[in-house]
Amino acid sequence: MAKLNVEICGVKLKNPVIAASGTFGFGREYNEVYDISVLGGVSTKGMTLEARSGNPVPRIAEGRSVILNAVGLQNPGVGHFIKHDLEFLKSKGVAVVANVAGKTLDEYGEICARLDGLVDFVELNISCPNVKAGGMAFGIKPESIKEVTRVSKNSLKKTPLMVKLSPNVESIPVNAQAAQSGGADCISLINTLTGMAIDLDARKPVIANNTGGVSGMGIKPVALRMVYEAAHAVDIPVIGMGGIASGTDALEFMLAGASAVQVGTANFTDANAMPRIIREMNDWLDSRKIKDVNEIINTLELN
Amino acid sequence: MMKDLKAIVKSNAPVAENIFMLTVTLPESVGIIRGGQFVNISTGDGAHLLRRPLGVVKAEGNDITVCYQIKGDGTRNLSTLKDGAELNILLPLGNGFMLDAYKNVAVIGGGVGVFPLIATIREYCNTVNFHSYIGFRNKSAVCLLGELEKSKTLKVVTDDGSYGGRGNAVEAYFADAENIKADAIIACGPPIMLKALKQKLSACGNKIPCFVSLEERMACGLGACLVCVCKKQDGDNARVCKDGPVFDINEVEL
Repeated sequence: MAKLNVEICGVKLKNPVIAASGTFGFGREYNEVYDISVLGGVSTKGMTLEARSGNPVPRIAEGRSVILNAVGLQNPGVGHFIKHDLEFLKSKGVAVVANVAGKTLDEYGEICARLDGLVDFVELNISCPNVKAGGMAFGIKPESIKEVTRVSKNSLKKTPLMVKLSPNVESIPVNAQAAQSGGADCISLINTLTGMAIDLDARKPVIANNTGGVSGMGIKPVALRMVYEAAHAVDIPVIGMGGIASGTDALEFMLAGASAVQVGTANFTDANAMPRIIREMNDWLDSRKIKDVNEIINTLELN
Repeated sequence: MMKDLKAIVKSNAPVAENIFMLTVTLPESVGIIRGGQFVNISTGDGAHLLRRPLGVVKAEGNDITVCYQIKGDGTRNLSTLKDGAELNILLPLGNGFMLDAYKNVAVIGGGVGVFPLIATIREYCNTVNFHSYIGFRNKSAVCLLGELEKSKTLKVVTDDGSYGGRGNAVEAYFADAENIKADAIIACGPPIMLKALKQKLSACGNKIPCFVSLEERMACGLGACLVCVCKKQDGDNARVCKDGPVFDINEVEL
């Protein structure tokens, strides 16, 4: 058995596999399929200060090897999470990553203050492509990334701050550095790529929101490139995601510089995807006689 | 208990134009599957990451039967699968129809909406008298009538009159409502049918409890991703996959 535990910003994870925000709710439903305590962590559904009802349906569409979603941050509000879901996740011994979004800088500050000391990470959603306010607006330009990071970090005295970067930008390295200089303790990427699916006969987009965030296996090469770029632009840990569906996918991200990974869309294709990915990571490491997953982080050799 | 398993295709054949019946064998039992519950099943093609939510028509031992209409690439690929092919299946999902309190139930089905109703008739046929009113587009879409024979009354209508009478299932039920005196209604079909049913029941004073099974595009199938919501009458969202797919018709906006 290879050693799979990793440490990020002083937080110990039993393995590097974290459920990606928006695909896993607050963990209760998947816990009916398997005991989610096997996971390294869970990033919650994106939360806002007040409850939100999200976008109209249809909220989902398919392309080849990808899906598109525009759920639009439907969530019960951060207070509801603290009262009803936090204890459950903590009882599972997984790293609790609270994914949050605000409409304004003040809201980011306030929501971070509410969560400080209660969770293992706060993950800043500044890159949700599916809502008009409180997401993408902050995640495009380096100046606004730095500012929203700074304001959020000011409210976090105990809990490390993870900033989730959008791929729909001019420069990943520049934006990763902006998050770092704003005070981010680590960064995660990539969020979804903005896309569109069309119903030819109806002459309309499939998704009610017209555009949606593209995720799934098909985006993995883009995500790997961006994770590599980010990891080489900053000194803080990077959490990689984008199309991970197998143990070797996850290990490729770690080779590119990620200290841990998040798994999203693969949960829809196979509800047991994450326990399987953890097993497959171990099997690959064992077969190569690598004793510790940390040995492969950021060891990619360029041609 | 909800499980995500690898199932083997036992049979996969057309039962009407563009409509297939698929039976898969599970490697282990998942316990009782209720009428109105569904499965989330892969299309057997690695390029389609979303599974298809399909109502269970029959569950016998470890054999699960569903029906599907070919709508796009995914279901077209599913229709090409031969016996022995392997599919991922997450089941059982959703709540199902609960008819323990009723004795005389009207069944209103439209098109592929008939499938989850069939399993419900099978489940309750020893304790409930069913009166079924089923509408199809035309003769080529008519299927699975044999499965409905356990109904005390069975009326089939088509939009163009090419099979049974001309008309729709809602009208067929209301033409008969005084005779059968149902103490509950179960329904599944296209949104326009359910909407008409809701309006008609409301105009009659909502005297009979009515339960409808809704359809929506889904991702996880188990209540986590919030993709398949419907609006409740009180303005909140409900998850079709987890809180439904069966709802009291007065509880949801149609």
